[in-house]
Parts: sequence; structure tokens; C-alpha cells
Amino acid sequence: MTVMFVVGTAVCAASMLTCWVMTALRGHPADSSIVSLAAVELYLIAYGVYAGFRQLVSAATIVGEGWEFWGYVLTALLLPVGVFVWAMVDRTRWSNLVMSFVGPVVFVMLYRMEEIWWGSAL
Amino acid sequence: MGKRAVSAGHQGSGAVQTPRNRGVGMLIITAYGIFAVSATARALYQSVFHFAEAPVAYLLSAFAALVYVVATVALSRRSVAAWKTAMSAVLIELFGVLGVGLWTVLVPDLFADDTVWSHFGSGYGYVPLVLPVVGLYWLWRHRPGGPRGDHR
Repeated sequence: MTVMFVVGTAVCAASMLTCWVMTALRGHPADSSIVSLAAVELYLIAYGVYAGFRQLVSAATIVGEGWEFWGYVLTALLLPVGVFVWAMVDRTRWSNLVMSFVGPVVFVMLYRMEEIWWGSAL
Repeated sequence: MGKRAVSAGHQGSGAVQTPRNRGVGMLIITAYGIFAVSATARALYQSVFHFAEAPVAYLLSAFAALVYVVATVALSRRSVAAWKTAMSAVLIELFGVLGVGLWTVLVPDLFADDTVWSHFGSGYGYVPLVLPVVGLYWLWRHRPGGPRGDHR
């Protein structure tokens, strides 16, 4: 298990919980829900940069396939942005719950990325 | 923005209803959208780099991705035509996940690689099995001409 994976798990979990709490508390998209989504996106950018270094600079070996790994990184990067745009279509309580989908989905994708890179995420 | 929610609640004698693509509907569409994007990405990767290894499985992956895309778009639109399209897509999805699920359990060697629908979507936390059921329920509740349907 890498430090990056632990940090990512924490960021995703925090985002999901924040969005859940805000669904109960706010009748509109809460700032904290949006910030939590931004945190996930920032983390993914950092993860991408870190993986880029790992691949190009240190030439670390990857167990799985590079194409699949970077496909996951790219799709994951799109996710918070797409969900945010969709959540803003109708600014109600539900926007928060819509945004809560990002955390768990990004976590699963992160798990797969770690699996592809190291052979196992744990 | 809090005001908006309050005023909506006072607008009418039951005339104001949450349309099919709002409220809980937004959640269902989000789930379909996520599946549409991830299934498309996966199908693209599989077909481009590994098509020869498992053509049937990857064609099925591509077909599933297409069904999710059509369902997402149709669910997010309010017309009666969109309702029919969504209904067809969700039914195809249900038969797909049940058929492929059963098939992969009975004849595990049939497909050279797993698809979204293999083993009733176990690789995706069985979400592919739950999603069409929820989608059907939601569409039926909001059927055209029904008590909650959109009449446009």
C-alpha cells in the first residue's frame, strides 16, 4: 500500500461524507461539497504528476499495462468535473447527493490504478 | 438559493411535481452517466489494444457501453419519445445483465474475458444488476399519462 493510495482513500472518504452531511443540512449545493470535489480533483492531478514522474523519471516498472493505467487516470480526472457540471443543472438538496458519487467511484478507480501499477493495491 | 426551495414548496395545489430528470432522477442519471463513461472508456481500451484476444466479449462490452450512453441521454430528457427510448434501453440492459450473467455462470468459458455484465455485474459491485431495476421503477412511476408523468 502506497502513501499516495492512503491519502487518496482519505480524500475520497472525506468528500463522500461531506456531501452526505450537506445533503441533510442544505437545500442547495453546499460550498463544502463543491470544495470536497475540488479536493478530489486536485488529488487526482497530484496523483497523475506523481505517476508521470514514476514512469518517466524513475522509469519504475509497471505490472499491468501503461495504456490501461493512463486510461483510468484520464477517466478519473474527467469524473469530478462532469459530475460537478451535472450537479449544477438543478441546484437543490440533491446536488449534494449527486456530488457524493465522486468519492466512492474515484476510490474504486484508484484501487484499480494501484492494482495495475503494483499488481496489488494493498 | 434556500429561498428557491421554499418558494417551490408554496407554488401550488399539487400541480408542481418533480420531473423525471430532477430530484432523485438526477441521482439515477448520474449513476448511468458514470457507467456510460467508464464502460465506454473500458470498451475503447479493450477493442483498440486487445480486440483479437476476446472479440465476442469486447463487442459485448462496446454494446453495453452504447446501451448505457443511450439510457443516460434518454433519461435526462423529458419528452415522451425520450421516455420510450429510456424504457427500451433499460429493458435491454436488464435482459443483458440477466442473460449474460446467467450465461457466464452456466458456461464460464464462453467469454475469453469479463464484461460489465459477466456474473451479474459482480466485478462492479452488482451495480449493473441493481441499476436497471431502479431505472425501471423510476420510469414506471413517471410514465407518460401517469400520475407523475411529464406531458410534453
